[in-house]
Amino acid sequence: MGFLNLNASVSWWDLAKPPLDISTNGHLIDGLWNYTTMLCIFYFILVCIGLFGFAFFYSQKRNKTPYYTYGNKKKHLLVTAVIGAAVFLSIDLNIARIANNDLLNQFWKWPDPKTEKVLRVEVMAQQWLWSFRYAGPDDQFGTADDVVTNNDLRVPTGTKILFHLTSKDVIHSFFVPNVRLKVDTIPGRITRVWWEVTTPGVYDIACAEMCGTHHYLMKAKLTVYSEEDFKRWVATSEKIALNTNDPSDANLAWGWKWEK
Amino acid sequence: MSGGYNEIHPEPTTFWSTYIISFDHKVIAKQFLWYGIFFLGLGGIMALLIRWTLAYPGVPVPVLGSLLFSDSGGVVPPDTYSMLFTMHGTIMIFYAITPILIGAFGNYCIPLQIGARDMAFPMLNMLSFWFAFLSGLVLIISLCLPLGAAAGGWTSYPTLSTLIGSPGAGQTLWCVAIFLFGVSSTMGAVNYVTTVITLRAPGMGYFDMPLTIWGLWLTAILNAIFVPVLGAGVLLLILDRVMGTTFFLAGASATSGSGDPVLFQHVFWIFGHPEVYILILPAWGIVSDLLSFFSRKPAFGAKATALAMTSVSILSTLVYGHHMFTTQMSPLLTQSFMTLTMTISIPSAIFFANWLGTIWKGSIRFDSPMLFSLGVVFVFGLGGLTGLHLGTVTTDLYLHDTYFVVGHFHYTMAASVLLGGFAGIYFWFPKMFGKMMNETMAKIHFWGTMIPLNGIFFGMLMVGYGGMHRRIYNPFVYESLQRLIPINSMITTSAILMGAFQIVFVINFLWSLKNGAKAVSNPWNVGTLEWTIPSPPVHHNYDEIPVVKCGPHELGNPNLKNGRDFQYQTEELVEA
Repeated sequence: MGFLNLNASVSWWDLAKPPLDISTNGHLIDGLWNYTTMLCIFYFILVCIGLFGFAFFYSQKRNKTPYYTYGNKKKHLLVTAVIGAAVFLSIDLNIARIANNDLLNQFWKWPDPKTEKVLRVEVMAQQWLWSFRYAGPDDQFGTADDVVTNNDLRVPTGTKILFHLTSKDVIHSFFVPNVRLKVDTIPGRITRVWWEVTTPGVYDIACAEMCGTHHYLMKAKLTVYSEEDFKRWVATSEKIALNTNDPSDANLAWGWKWEK
Repeated sequence: MSGGYNEIHPEPTTFWSTYIISFDHKVIAKQFLWYGIFFLGLGGIMALLIRWTLAYPGVPVPVLGSLLFSDSGGVVPPDTYSMLFTMHGTIMIFYAITPILIGAFGNYCIPLQIGARDMAFPMLNMLSFWFAFLSGLVLIISLCLPLGAAAGGWTSYPTLSTLIGSPGAGQTLWCVAIFLFGVSSTMGAVNYVTTVITLRAPGMGYFDMPLTIWGLWLTAILNAIFVPVLGAGVLLLILDRVMGTTFFLAGASATSGSGDPVLFQHVFWIFGHPEVYILILPAWGIVSDLLSFFSRKPAFGAKATALAMTSVSILSTLVYGHHMFTTQMSPLLTQSFMTLTMTISIPSAIFFANWLGTIWKGSIRFDSPMLFSLGVVFVFGLGGLTGLHLGTVTTDLYLHDTYFVVGHFHYTMAASVLLGGFAGIYFWFPKMFGKMMNETMAKIHFWGTMIPLNGIFFGMLMVGYGGMHRRIYNPFVYESLQRLIPINSMITTSAILMGAFQIVFVINFLWSLKNGAKAVSNPWNVGTLEWTIPSPPVHHNYDEIPVVKCGPHELGNPNLKNGRDFQYQTEELVEA
């Protein structure tokens, strides 16, 4: 059990911070999380003040005679109503509004390959493997020049990446903790997600939906390149694909025609 | 109200008819209690095996390991791990919480607290327990199959739960067990609803019922409506598995036509979201009553609390889609479910205001039922508030299927319900068995549960936010998660501690059954109807059906002249 030699200088709060945000939009989720948490802490402190404070001051020892009230006087109802309204207005409407704006302005604003630079990737999940497909030189999916990788996704910085995902067998979930997003991959339908990354490096891709015994091993590597490095990798991979893709290999034949 | 079917049933004479095939709601309640406590222990041991694996992957389990997993040298193998978390969830929800909170307290409290001699349908009641028994039996048999029990998570999403992902018969038996459980629950629910409506004592209006009865009644209504939906869902799943239909099949294996796996998720969560309220409503009711009883003052805003419970029950039917944000429903559905989910905050805030209002200016006795009730306010605060992060779509896209979710629903469904259940057991034990429980052991049990419990579930929130996802056998195959090992060890240590302190409860329970001090008819000095009769009550509960003249929380009235600080519900209300 060598993992017990802990580094005492790192607190548990720091350990529990989410992994490095490498995306252009991850800060929206982190920001909303922090905001919600602040409000939760504020209201939880109020609950604790009431709970521990009243338990202390109104114990049998300190308060012999209880105050006989049904709590149905006008001022009681007013306090209750104000608390209910305050919680709803300050937390709920606020976070729902922020989330809705973020969805409409970012997460659901699907990049259009016709008008902007977009890298399209098809993803197929199966027990227990992630397969990724790039369109290749002809820009068409499901053709012989597609670049196909297994458990190995490579993307450039500075480009929006649009994924279309499906599953061969059971439901999986495409989770990139460093981007803060996940989306289920579902047999029989195509789901989609887009993100843009900023920081080159190597990161984890996980399956987040229980998918069988080896669910825990269904992980892939995400390599983020600078734009130049990515161009170089694509050029090499396309050449290799053209030379080595075997049209009779059933494992390569899963691409589908890209539809909007 | 009055005039219902409320005659005295002849007392059973044989052992068989008294304790086994019993029609008496008090005996059935105890049957459900023993049944629930047995499964609580089983589910708890499974939880400890899961926790051990997560903190010390690859290390043999002490004591149990060599007995259960001798083939792998005492280490939990990955397929067994999946079965363990599937069975842990299933057992805790359907076979531990439901029988204790609904089966035991529902059966025990409803007739006694509304002044009835038995349930409206005693035979249905008996069948409800024996169907639950059968269901539990099927579930336990499924653990002994060659390919093992179900292993697709307690949610059993297809297509993993179809033959594509789970070829063993364990999953089929799981479906059968859940279907039988549904039959049992529905019978119980119909019975509870009818009993509350027709058998209330003369003079008892709906707002004169204790809030415990409100909670149990609303739970029964939700149960009667939504458990059959789950029944239908698992029935279709059985057809898919056994008869070759394709309701939930799609993808490469759906060679004879394609259904839709997401359909099951809709069916499941239409049931599943009300289910979490089905589990928590009885605990809310119990806590609302006990806070008043032990503060020696009326429940603050009792009517508002009852109405807030009602509105939560209604809202719970409209928000289930927040379990499915990552499946990409249409944007309109996603936005609607997010907004509707948020509205649940309003009645929840009213609960908290009223709970705190109840202890405000009270004269609080810290007996064990009160400690557990105050504990519920604390843990439900944490559980409820962390729900906000998950009801919001964008944060949910990160947190969904991580341990943050696990921490959240354990705070609400496990911690709150468990503490509420213990509060109820300590409170009604004298009435049920005619003996007092040992108060010192009860207090040790409280602190030994409360402190590690927060270590477990707060730790889960932390590792979840850190990015650790659910249902993974060995999280540390991900290098980025290895930093969370110390927190995971802390959670496991807390879990073992909490498990150990439950032994105190079991000892107290069994010891008190035999040696506890004899309970008087009203040891807590409260005025609801069950405390007007001897402990334990006679077979037909009430020699004369009581007539109710005031509410359930008449405590601390300064004008009382009878030497007590409370009034029985059968007494004329003394004006303050």
